[in-house]
Parts: sequence; structure tokens; C-alpha cells
Amino acid sequence: MTTYTICVFTENSIGLLNKITIIFTRRRINIESLTVSETERKGISRFTIVIKHEKREEVEKLVRQIRKIIEVLAVFGYLNEDIVYNEIALFKISTPLNGKSVDVETINKVYKAWVVYWGLDYVVIEKTGTETEIFEFFKYIKPHGIIEFVRSGRVAVGKTPQGLIEYLPEEITEWEYYL
Amino acid sequence: MGNLLEIELKQETLAAPAQAKEGQTFLSGAQAMMECLLAESVDNIFGYPGGAIMPTYDALYDYIDRIKHTLVRHEQGAGHAAQGYARVSGRTGVCLVTSGPGGTNLITPIADAIIDCTPMVCIVGQVKSNLLGTDAFQETDMIGVTTPVCKWNYQITDPDEVPEIMAKAFFIAKSGKPGPVVIDFARDAQAAKMTKPFVYKKVEKMVSYSPRVVPKQDQIEKAAELINKAKRPYILFGHGVLIADAVQELLDFVEKTDIPCASTLLGLSAMPNNHSNYMGWLGMHGMYAPNVMTDECDVLIAIGMRFDDRVTGDSTKFAKQARIVHIEIDPSEVDKIKKAEAPVIGDAKEALKMLMPLVKKGDFTGWKNEFRKLDVKEYDKVTLRDLGQEGKIKMAEVVALLSDKTNGEACIVVDVGQHQMVTARYYQFKKANSFIASGGLGTMGFAIPASFGAKVGAPDREVVGIIGDGCFQMTIQELGTIAQSGLAVKMIILNNNFLGMVRQWQQLFFDNRYSFVELQNPDFITIARGFGIDGHTCTERENLSNSLDKMLDSKKAYLLEVIVEKEENVFPMVPAGTSVSEIRLE
Repeated sequence: MTTYTICVFTENSIGLLNKITIIFTRRRINIESLTVSETERKGISRFTIVIKHEKREEVEKLVRQIRKIIEVLAVFGYLNEDIVYNEIALFKISTPLNGKSVDVETINKVYKAWVVYWGLDYVVIEKTGTETEIFEFFKYIKPHGIIEFVRSGRVAVGKTPQGLIEYLPEEITEWEYYL
Repeated sequence: MGNLLEIELKQETLAAPAQAKEGQTFLSGAQAMMECLLAESVDNIFGYPGGAIMPTYDALYDYIDRIKHTLVRHEQGAGHAAQGYARVSGRTGVCLVTSGPGGTNLITPIADAIIDCTPMVCIVGQVKSNLLGTDAFQETDMIGVTTPVCKWNYQITDPDEVPEIMAKAFFIAKSGKPGPVVIDFARDAQAAKMTKPFVYKKVEKMVSYSPRVVPKQDQIEKAAELINKAKRPYILFGHGVLIADAVQELLDFVEKTDIPCASTLLGLSAMPNNHSNYMGWLGMHGMYAPNVMTDECDVLIAIGMRFDDRVTGDSTKFAKQARIVHIEIDPSEVDKIKKAEAPVIGDAKEALKMLMPLVKKGDFTGWKNEFRKLDVKEYDKVTLRDLGQEGKIKMAEVVALLSDKTNGEACIVVDVGQHQMVTARYYQFKKANSFIASGGLGTMGFAIPASFGAKVGAPDREVVGIIGDGCFQMTIQELGTIAQSGLAVKMIILNNNFLGMVRQWQQLFFDNRYSFVELQNPDFITIARGFGIDGHTCTERENLSNSLDKMLDSKKAYLLEVIVEKEENVFPMVPAGTSVSEIRLE
């Protein structure tokens, strides 16, 4: 199984998430993670969808099918090596009065994670990184007792010097998808 | 909680229809909708009224002199009629139905239209926007339900949106690869007045949707090079040629290059059957030579077709040896089933026009004769038997005789099953847009509504529906529509008292276990008469010719029922999932 990151640029309209996800459902492809946000251009949303698939060819077909949705402006499919990507995770860790204290220095220096909230008997730690890095930290912090753990979907930018948004025309020009 | 309530209140204010300034009156959403239809030169629509679409029907009442409305008996009929209309005329079919069941009854035609690329705009009523999501009476989430089966959908909740959205709807439905568009029209948006004057600007391009019509020159050059090098080239053309109105361009191209060509089921009638380069049509029940020769050609030129599994059989074995040129307007179709060495993304008409000066004049007499040799085999093994004058009347005889009597110029609308395949085999088409069938979805019950839709779209043409006894009963109520509208639609039931195609499969692949395929049929002629449509039954071969004459001579709608051989099989046949080399002739 290879991991693919699919970036979809769309107009910001109601129901588009559904239109995009049914393309995956119909082909029995499971979405590993999905993130949506507005881009640097107003009114244009960016979907970052992570999937695992055995056949590159099928992913290419998938990309073309997504492109076919009317409100979709452009679709890009990437392998992990083509992108810089990260996820963010929040850990709610119990810190009872007489319990083992949290080693903030190790957390900061070794794991590049930060305590973002101090509660009475818990702390919330924010860890940004790849899935592997987050799970390494997960293993480290687990003995303290994880009350709650949540991980975001992937966000990614391409390693090409120009921004993907530059592929989007101001007016009407030829649309391309590529993988 | 305080916040949540506030948000809800805000939404309600937003949803409330905007009021015009005092003294000023603008069109209502429903009136604006009518103006949009006029602006798009829509003169015929098919529909069925109901609660949530009533303001629009009320507006239509003032426009009946300009927009003709055909009242169907079931919304599915409206959809298929719009398809028949679109397919024969090349224009966008429009249907108007109510919310809830009105909309859901339209799902089958919408799914049919997307897979057969039929331009259609479906205006579906919806409950008032403040009731959305409350399980109101006749509320169905039409956007949710239709998203997987339509090209585009949109919910109108503000009358001011009407002109812009409808302009987009008509552009999307008709351009690129055509398809159905669903407009979910909230009742309050129909009734409320616009807050500004009605201005309609036709859409010709959209930022997020601009299908390529004119292909890239380098793709054309590569395709031409491949075609010019070919020793055994073979053209497969499909529905795309008819959609692009490229019939003349295809003819010119074929005549210049002398390349033999074959049609897909939906491409039928794009090329006159009697043309010396036309080898027939291919597919599961297509002709022998066109199927077998896909294994022999060196360059396959696919024009406006999508390598459907009913065409290719096992696609991994289909035309394995051939280098493929694929002319196609939808980029997602290229390499979907068959990898194309020279894809040409664009409209078939433009592509053929651009290819013309680049391709060599050819002479493929020898190569064409190889097709003809195989035709002899098919004639001996299949055609002679199908047309044999023994036993009960055979479907093929009826179609062949009809073809002679109408000089191959009628518009033939078929349903789905054995009669469909036999009609495709034995009608000798001479005119374009003359074969209307549900190809991709295989919708039984398509033919009666599509026939009257086609008659509305081409009132001067002889429209003949050829329908199986099973299919006929799926939309039999539309006889009422035909009678009320006074359309001279001719219908032939090829009655074998069986769901023939399923029975054939049960015989061949399920060890003769006839599981629920025999029908107890009603007296079709009595039913037709009950609706006010005349007809008669033909049981004997010697009466067949007179029976057809009587039907064709009728100035009004007419139903001819022909009792045909009960257990007849359609051959050739490429069993599903096998390769064309396993084609069966008996």
C-alpha cells in the first residue's frame, strides 16, 4: 500500500464535501484523513485527502474523477516524497499532585512538543509532526496516562518552488490535473 | 446555547424572501424561471405538478402559448420523455416535477441520462427553505439523493439566484460531455419576488468548468501519424459523434481514409448502414465481423466512445494488439478502460475537422474484404435463421420488414432486452439520430415515454417505439400521456410472453432454470383502447405486412402487438466477462 496525498482546490459551495467523498466511497477507497480550509485566495477551498492504495493507475483515475466535479478547480496527487506535510495532535495528560511530573525539557527539546494549557491536575500538550513522530511521542507520554488524544488530518504543501495556487487561473484558461 | 439560538435566528432572517422597494414590482422566482426557459429557447417541457412546485406551475399558466407542457402520468415518464426529446433533437430536455416522490421518481431517468450523456435540466420543487431539514411533508434531500447520478445540482432558496443558476444549469447540461442537471427549487423562492430586475446572461464559460472543445494540435498530429502508419486501421465510433453533430465529418473522414468502421450501440445511425465502409456494430450482441476484427486491427481509432464493458467484454483481452487513438471530450474517460497511445481530448467534430488535412487518402479494399468474409459466416449461421420464414413470427422479421417499409428513415425508440438487440441488428438506418435506446443503464420502461418525447422533438418524423412485453408494462400508464397529447406515436410490442433476455441467460448460463421470467400478460390492445389508442394484434406471418402498413398509415397513435416466437435467442453473443474471441453464433 502506498500513501497518496490528494489536494483538491474548489469553489466554496455547500455540499461539495459530499460530492468529493462519494467518489471515494463508490470505488471502495477509505479516506485516512481529510482537512479542509480556505486558501490564500478568497472563496477557494483546499481539501487535503490522504488515502492508501496499491495501484497508482487507480489513483490517477480517481484524481480525474474528482476533477470532473463542476465546482472543482484543480486536483493534485502526491507521493509522500513530493510534499512537506504535517499533522497536529493534542494530548491531555494527567498530572495528579503526587504523581510523576512531566519532563517539560525532554518534551520540548527531544520531542519538539509544547505544553499549551495547564489545568489543575492535567496538562494539554501540542505536538506537530508526521504521523510517525506523533506516535513516537505518543509512546513516550503514554505512561503518564493519556486522558484524551486527538490528531488532525494531514496538511501538505508541494516541494515545487511555486505555490499550487499559481496553477489556478485568474480567469479562464486550461485546467490541468497531474499526478 | 445562547449563541446557537442567535445563529438560528440569523438564518431565518436570511431565508426570508427579500422585499422589493415600495412601488417597484419585480418577477417572482417562478416567473423568472419561465423567463429563463424562454431565454434558452425552451419550447417544450415535460412534467407533473404537485404541492412544492405549484407557484412554478401557476407561473407556467401565463406562458402556455410559448412553453408547451406535456403532462405525463408518472415523473419517470417526464424524465425519459425529456431524454427522447433531447436525443432526437440535440436540444436540452427539461422536466418539471414536485418535491419528495416527484423528485425520487425522476432518479431513474437522471441516472440513465448521466450514463448515456443526455442533456437534461430537471427542475424539482422543494419545501419552503425554513422547513428544510425538518422532515416536512414531501421533503426529500434531492441534492443528497441526486449527487451521485447527476452532472451538477443546485438548491435555489433565493429568487434573485434564478437567472444566474439557470444559465449555468443549461450551459453545464449541454456542454462538454452532456448530462442531467438538477435544480432543487424551494417553494418560497418560487413565490417570492426578486429584489432586482430580471437580467439573463447566457453562460458560455465558467471558472471551474471549461471543457476543451478544440483539441491540442500536438495530440492531433500524433493521432494522424498513427493513423497514417496503420496497415489495418479500424474505427469504432460511438454516441459522441451524434452528440457533437459530427456525422458529416465522420463520413468525410471515413471516405478519405477508406478505413472500415463500426458503431457502438448508441452510435447507431451516425453512419448510414448501407455505406461500404460501415461494417456494422459491435458489442455483446453486436455483429460478428465488427467484434472479431477488434482482435485483428493494428490501430484502433475510437471516436466518442468509452469502451463500455458491453463493448469490450473482458477489457484486458480487448484489442490487445492494437495501438489506440482515442478521441474523447471527457479527460477522465481516456485510459479509464483502455490505455490510449494517442489520446485526443476534444469534441469529435472539431477533432475530425483538424485530422482531415493530416490524414492520407487510403485504399483498404483488402482489409475491408476480411470483414465481409466474416459477414458471410454470420449470415449463414445467424441471419438466415433469424429471418427464416418458419414457425412463429420472429422478432427479426418484424424489424426487417419495418425497416423496408419506412425506408430506414424512421426514428426508432427501443426498450431494453432481446427486442432492443434485434432492432439494432435488423433496422437499416439511413438518417442520423434515429436510434434511441437506454444503453448504459438499460432502463426497462424507457421506450413509451422516450417515444413521445422523441415525437415532440421531431414532430415531422415517423417515430416508432419497439417494445418488449415486459418493458411495456413498466411505463404502460404513459399511454394516457400519448392519448392526451394527441401525438402520432407508433408502438410495436414484440410479445414473446417472456422476459426474453433474462430467459436466454437462464437457458445458456443457468442450466435452463427459468426463474420468474414468464409473464401473464394483459390484453394490451384492450388496454390501449381503454386509453383511447387504437391497435390490433398480429399472430400470423401472412398478416404481418398488412399489420405494419395499418400501423404506419394511421394518422394517430397506434399500437401493434406482434406475437413472436417464445423462446428465441439473440446471437451472436459475447458472454459477459469473456473476450470477443469467445463469441458464440449459436
